[in-house]
Amino acid sequence: MTADAFLFWFLALSTVAGGVMVVSLTNPIYAALSLAFTMVSVAAVFVTLEAFFVAGVQLIVYAGAVMVLFVMVLMLFDLKHEVESFARGKVTGAIKLLAAGLLAGLLIGAILYSSSGELGSSAPQAAAQIDSTKTLGYRLFTQHIFAFEALGVLLLVIAVGVVALSRSKGGTHGKH
Amino acid sequence: MSQTALMSILLASPLIGFLINGFRRKHHSANVSGIIASVAVFISFVAAVLFWLELQGMAPESRSILVNYGSWMNVESLSINFGFLVDPLSSLMILIITGVGFLIHVFSIGYMHHDKNVAKYFAYLNFFIFNMLILVLGDSLVTLFVGWEGVGLASYLLIGFWFTDKEKASAGMKAFITNRIGDAAFLIGMFIFFVSFGTLNIQELNALAPTVAESTWLGVATLGTLFLFIGATGKSAQIPLYVWLPDAMAGPTPVSALIHAATMVTAGVYLIIRMNPVFLAAPNTMMVIAIIGVLTVVLAASIGITQNDIKKVLAYSTVSQLGYMFLACGVGAFTAAFFHLMTHAFFKALMFLGSGSVIHAMHEEQDIRKMGGLKKYLPWTHLTFMMGWLAILGTPGFSGFFSKDEILWMSWHSPLGHWSLWALGALGATMTAFYMTRLMALTFWGKSRVPKEIHPHESSPIMLFPLVVLAILSVVGGYVGIPHVIGAILPGHPENILAGWLGNIVKPIPGITEADAAMEWTLMGVSVGLATISAFIAYTLYVNKQEAVQSFTNKIKPVYELVYKKYLVDELYFGYIINPLVRLSENIWAYIDVRFIDRCTYWAGDLMKGGGSFVRSLQNGNLQSYAMYIGLGLVLTLTFVMMR
Amino acid sequence: MVNTNVFLEIGLNHYLVLSTVLFCLGMIGVLLRKNAIVMLMSIELMLNAVNISFIAFGKYNSNIDGQIMVFFVMTIAAAEAAVGLALAVSIFKRFKEVNIRFFEHLKG
Repeated sequence: MTADAFLFWFLALSTVAGGVMVVSLTNPIYAALSLAFTMVSVAAVFVTLEAFFVAGVQLIVYAGAVMVLFVMVLMLFDLKHEVESFARGKVTGAIKLLAAGLLAGLLIGAILYSSSGELGSSAPQAAAQIDSTKTLGYRLFTQHIFAFEALGVLLLVIAVGVVALSRSKGGTHGKH
Repeated sequence: MSQTALMSILLASPLIGFLINGFRRKHHSANVSGIIASVAVFISFVAAVLFWLELQGMAPESRSILVNYGSWMNVESLSINFGFLVDPLSSLMILIITGVGFLIHVFSIGYMHHDKNVAKYFAYLNFFIFNMLILVLGDSLVTLFVGWEGVGLASYLLIGFWFTDKEKASAGMKAFITNRIGDAAFLIGMFIFFVSFGTLNIQELNALAPTVAESTWLGVATLGTLFLFIGATGKSAQIPLYVWLPDAMAGPTPVSALIHAATMVTAGVYLIIRMNPVFLAAPNTMMVIAIIGVLTVVLAASIGITQNDIKKVLAYSTVSQLGYMFLACGVGAFTAAFFHLMTHAFFKALMFLGSGSVIHAMHEEQDIRKMGGLKKYLPWTHLTFMMGWLAILGTPGFSGFFSKDEILWMSWHSPLGHWSLWALGALGATMTAFYMTRLMALTFWGKSRVPKEIHPHESSPIMLFPLVVLAILSVVGGYVGIPHVIGAILPGHPENILAGWLGNIVKPIPGITEADAAMEWTLMGVSVGLATISAFIAYTLYVNKQEAVQSFTNKIKPVYELVYKKYLVDELYFGYIINPLVRLSENIWAYIDVRFIDRCTYWAGDLMKGGGSFVRSLQNGNLQSYAMYIGLGLVLTLTFVMMR
Repeated sequence: MVNTNVFLEIGLNHYLVLSTVLFCLGMIGVLLRKNAIVMLMSIELMLNAVNISFIAFGKYNSNIDGQIMVFFVMTIAAAEAAVGLALAVSIFKRFKEVNIRFFEHLKG
């Protein structure tokens, strides 16, 4: 138990730290690296939750493909340290922070408020989903096959759309 | 010719005249405009005569022609037609209106010769005739009210005809506003009748009138007729709403003759005669009418004694004579009231036109103190004016004698009458004789006080022709209604033609007894004697002994001043009704409107503006701000869910 | 629940709170950062936070559908990142910068 607890706290700390760095670092490259760090941490969290397949997908898709995409774009732009990285306006900034803080507080309050329910008490039954990847694949290709195929179509559309978008000469607005 | 076509000609002719002159209002030729207008009215007059002849040919019980042009409004139980009714009463009325109206139109051609807006003037006159015909012929109270308002409008326009003079324009407004008060009461009376009888058709109302006289003050007939009577006091210039009529003399003199003497002001009397079965069912209203009428007679006559403006004297005389008509109505003698209406239309129109001739000759001078001795300059005017004077005095044989004495006798004899009514009426007749003689004396007789720069001249024949015709009518007009007691001693025993003609229209007074001939002769003698004495005194004083008059008026100066200033009624109205009302309105305006309502609206406007600019500042196009609103909304929603 | 157990016994609540914190961090990033690419990254953070809660719920309810949902979310997130980056490229081509203020033309 102690090992599990230690693992959770460690991963939680690294995840949150990564998140904070993504938000606060002014150099986009550093932010992207922090995001990759966070992705890996989240994958580890998935492992502690015994979702091995999803953890693997997280590593490959997010920490791999998506992050590479981000970093490549950033390299393409050759962005330096930003002069203006945060929104101006102290009042609105305060309101935004306050809104986010309140939202967090409310959600945590809601979670703790309902903690006496049966969800928390049900101990993880590892035996029940020992072969979770197999089950996952089975469910995905039987019960959710329609959604899966729809996702395929969506990705195709996105691929075409992105190519069209990046080849276009610019938006509808005139030059400033 | 069919009756519908005849009615169309009767009504449309003045309307077309009005339109023609209205569209050529920029033209300045009095002859052309005047001939168009006069011909229009003359066509109406011919149509009226034809109607009268048609009625003559009918059996006395069925003398009534109803021309219905179709439905005007039809709302549930309210059904009003464009219906116009010719019966013995309205046929005589349209004869007077178109006949006297035609003569006055002709007179106007001469009188308004120099005016630039002469086309507009004749257009208004024709408009007046048209509305007066609608008033008289309308078969329902609503149709009548249309004409009632129409003549009010025409009167307003014509009083204020020379509107560049501020005083004259405000005289028009005074007439209009005073009439509004009466009209409001008229409307209320109409509502009462509609609510209780379910119809506004005059004949149906007359048929539905309660046969048993109401003794309470709050009965339907009493209340309804009282309100109608208040409406009539506005239009016919009775106490308390008579104040507009003397001021109405600001209009051109022929207008005063037509509208403010002969026709429009008698509309109230006509209304009461028209609805006489309903009024007879309300003895309390009748009592009020008689008292108001006789008080008006005395009050107006006494003011008339002191006035120095020739038209003002005639105006108060008109108010006073209208009082006689109401007195007659009040005692139930509707035939006598109509008789006096008719004779008064003749002799008062004559005297107004005569005064117009005098004013014309004196170059717009109206003050009788600056006249005198005009007899030798204006022989025809003097002669015709004298016929009117004799008629209004009640000189035996002249028209006014028959009608006035009929009224005085009925006010004594009728079960609705009272000896005090007779006494006040006789007093009024005495005063009438005095002020009319004074007017004659100061204007035509005695020494000339005409300023040197004015050279009076006799009017043109076109102005004298109407005077002559009206003078003849003033003399012989009375012979259609010779009282029974006089007819009995005349050779051939002539009947009272008018009473016979109106027999089916006018309900007899309930409980009237056989006339006491001796009594009637006595009363007649007394009133004629009083009038003669008073006229003689006036003649002596104002022709020969003006100094005596001066010293006498100086002795009773406070009383004289009070009467001269018309008992301060205008000041009273201003002091106690109009000015407080104006002040109240000003206070309401200053406090409630400006300080409260305006502020509320400004405040609401500012709120909207502020709110709008605030909301606009939210719509700044900033993506992140929009995202923030989503976040805030989420927070609020969650808070709400949690709070539950 | 005793206070020490909060640290020692890891349950559903812990994962959910972690998810919440991460989500709100992502939200702050979206709200405050000016760089469009960093905003996209923050969105990825938020999606990851949601994924954690999905997996946690799936595990503690013994329901495999939570993981399937995460699978879908990841696909969509990848697609969204691709579109977002393409837009960023467009902006960059035009303004030589990827600041979000160039998108402040949403007013009607």
